[in-house]
Amino acid sequence: MNRTLKQFRRFNPRAYLSLMRSAVMENMQFRMSVLVMLFGNMVYLVVIYNLWKAIYASVDTPVVNGMTFSDTMIYLVLASAQFAFMEAYLVWEMGRGVQDGSIIVQLIKPMSYGTYQLFYILGGNLFYFIVTFIPTFVIVEIITGWVIPVGVNLLYYLISVIFGMMINFAVDYFVGTICLYTQSIWGINIMKQILVTFLSGATVPLAFFPEILYRIVMFLPFHAIYNTPLTLLIHNDLPVAQVGHMLFTQFVWVLVVFVLAKVFWKVSERVITVNGG
Amino acid sequence: MDKSESIIYLKDVMKEFKILNRHEGLKGSFRDMFSRDYKTIKAVNQVSLEIAPGEIVGYLGPNGAGKSTTIKMMTGVLEPTSGEIYVNGKVPYKNREANAQNIGVVFGQRSQLWWALPLVESFKILKDIYRISDKDYKDMLELYGSMIDMSALYSKPVRQMSLGQRTLSDILAAFLHNPAVVFLDEPTIGLDVSMKAKIRNLISSLNQEKNTTVILTTHDMGDVDALCKRIIIIDKGTMLYDNHIENLRSFFGAYRTLKLNLNKRHEEVTEKVQTENLKKVRELLTEKFAQATFTYDTDEEWVSILIDESQVPLMKVLSFLQEQLKIYDVRLEEISTESVIKKIYENNENSEK
Amino acid sequence: MKKLKFYLRIYFKILSQDIKSRMSYRSDFIISMIGMVFTNVVEIAAFYITFLNFPSVCGWTYYEMLFLYGFSLIALTPMQCLFENNWNLSRNVHRGDFIKYCFRPINIFFYYFSEIFDIKGLGQLAIGIGTLIFAWNKLQLPVSLIIILELLIALIVASLFFIGIMNFTAAVSFFLVNTGFLIGTMSKFRDYAKYPVTIFSKGFRFIFTFIIPIAFIAYYPSLVIMRPNEIPVLTWLAPVFGVVFFYLSYKFWMLGARKYSGTGT
Repeated sequence: MNRTLKQFRRFNPRAYLSLMRSAVMENMQFRMSVLVMLFGNMVYLVVIYNLWKAIYASVDTPVVNGMTFSDTMIYLVLASAQFAFMEAYLVWEMGRGVQDGSIIVQLIKPMSYGTYQLFYILGGNLFYFIVTFIPTFVIVEIITGWVIPVGVNLLYYLISVIFGMMINFAVDYFVGTICLYTQSIWGINIMKQILVTFLSGATVPLAFFPEILYRIVMFLPFHAIYNTPLTLLIHNDLPVAQVGHMLFTQFVWVLVVFVLAKVFWKVSERVITVNGG
Repeated sequence: MDKSESIIYLKDVMKEFKILNRHEGLKGSFRDMFSRDYKTIKAVNQVSLEIAPGEIVGYLGPNGAGKSTTIKMMTGVLEPTSGEIYVNGKVPYKNREANAQNIGVVFGQRSQLWWALPLVESFKILKDIYRISDKDYKDMLELYGSMIDMSALYSKPVRQMSLGQRTLSDILAAFLHNPAVVFLDEPTIGLDVSMKAKIRNLISSLNQEKNTTVILTTHDMGDVDALCKRIIIIDKGTMLYDNHIENLRSFFGAYRTLKLNLNKRHEEVTEKVQTENLKKVRELLTEKFAQATFTYDTDEEWVSILIDESQVPLMKVLSFLQEQLKIYDVRLEEISTESVIKKIYENNENSEK
Repeated sequence: MKKLKFYLRIYFKILSQDIKSRMSYRSDFIISMIGMVFTNVVEIAAFYITFLNFPSVCGWTYYEMLFLYGFSLIALTPMQCLFENNWNLSRNVHRGDFIKYCFRPINIFFYYFSEIFDIKGLGQLAIGIGTLIFAWNKLQLPVSLIIILELLIALIVASLFFIGIMNFTAAVSFFLVNTGFLIGTMSKFRDYAKYPVTIFSKGFRFIFTFIIPIAFIAYYPSLVIMRPNEIPVLTWLAPVFGVVFFYLSYKFWMLGARKYSGTGT
């Protein structure tokens, strides 16, 4: 790499902002599709509602595993809304880039590939956060009569969800790097997706997990993607110390997964240069 | 020539598209989410042409001129908004499948072969799809074998081929069922000189051997010079020219190109320097020969000036410039096809103004 | 009939070549297979955890639910194996690559889907069969030749519905730009096919029966085997509906393909 490129790589906030801006704009061009997706999410939510209502109706107690029907619902609805804005299909993107060689073009841009993707994806996340998560949140609030308190918990959530996005990104980036070694993008991606959504508590609330499985899951980074932000949002009676501990744990995970992803990428980058893409 | 003799017949063909008016900026894209602001554009406007069996026709025009749209209509993929089209005496869009039996298409850089399969297996599938008889199939492969070295291609999966090999394979596949017409879209784009020559030879020999009509769209004038006797030029959906290539040259016969090298030997020639040179030459000539019009261009280290000798003799221009500038090298050229076509576009632009 | 033979011949030729070439990329094949099986195992685990605390839902026992689950997995396989290319449609249309399917003298729909046969779907099929047999056994349902025949017909009908849904969804890409996510949304719906439609409120029972007919992917057809004493009219009508629905989806897809005018030049 020559010197001018290196100079460009110094932190340049304008470049990052315009990258995020272009991601938002590109996503807006989807026009109709945004509305259709909103509608699709709504139908999906009604389905979960009916399913869990039937499930709760078939037992005598209103509380199962410490969660009432409305606890479970709110959790799942917000988890799916969060999934909708977080899933950025980075593994696909990277895998395809490797397959058709277009990743090379990305590599010679005056910005590191990882940073480029991070800001591009955060831009997309931001857009979908506004068009999917916020409306969903408001609707949930209206339907449930403001069950979720509006206060400092929103701030906690925002901090936590940013950490969550970053962990999600780093996991994707790590898994995407595997695609440098194998052509099997589909297999790699599907395993990642099912593992992350299952172990992070996006499909079934972690409270329902059997004791042993729950303990294992708590040792992994995935719960910090969905479970931590949602817990901070839904419960406002958490002591500040616990909130601090949760956010700190999340932050540690951010560092760990970023370092892992970065190191793995660095080691693997040579594969591209050797194979010539 | 009338409808029954020509293999391709187009009369007053028009194709309109509705496209969304996009707005600029963040606010604009937000508006686009809800806007229904469409405009109609004529991608192809009143095009009429007839092509006889066995011709190789160059179909030229800048990007977005309507070339692909015309070809899509001739292949039956698109239905014209109005006008008549006959290919092999059939209306393509009404008989897409039947029409496809009699044509071959190599479209852009998109291989139509099975990505993972060795070429020979793709051929065998095509043999079934086009219902080619065993004998015809065998004869065709023999013919191919006599034209190029098939052994390098035969058992190689398409995805492992180089771009040149892939293009060769696609062309062979397009001729396999001995169609009456073959459409080739940019067949030599991105290839090196020797591969280009190889592909031109192949097209030319297949055309002679099988009397296949070939419609060729290209930006490479080398393709046109090597293959086409007749060219059709289209721009902004309208036909500008349809005639033999010789007529085209003689039409602009009074034109010659003067090429000057104004740079010292072994000096690195940058684009900036060339723009400077061009500007200088332009200023000098505009001042001196106010009554004449010149067309300027740069080509690597050369500054080229297209001169209409009926206006001012080339030698006069040269001797004038020699007094004014330090010239390191000179070349004279007959007008190239490329410049002719550029000239035609320019005339069209001017007549519109 | 002659035409059918012609098409079958081409299909099997492409299929056998495709499988042969895929086998030569063994690591991809193995990882995809593992991915498929792994996904289904995790999903069954999630299913198990969800119902761990609930012995029955709306009068459906755990094993009946599992039966539906297995049935739906099998019914999804033909879409997965034969019509997999629906997933790439939006991308092909968007990039202008779809044009290459329009130049052959054969049916575009057939030609497009003949291109990909997804072997890994067979992994899902195996898990589906295993689950079905397990639940069948636990429910102590009878077995006879007639019942097996009924099962086969029920499965084919269920598949037609799912393929139809996916055809409709994918074909939207012909009309609207960037609708690739739709097929993802729709395929999420299939996850709900494995639940008995009676757990939904009336409005949604109607929608899932007549508008997005996911209730036909497992619930209605499987009743023939699971509860032969209380078969609703809709189960009997399912075969007719299935064929009509599939045919309409085909027509819609083809309409899109003809309308597709190569947005890219």
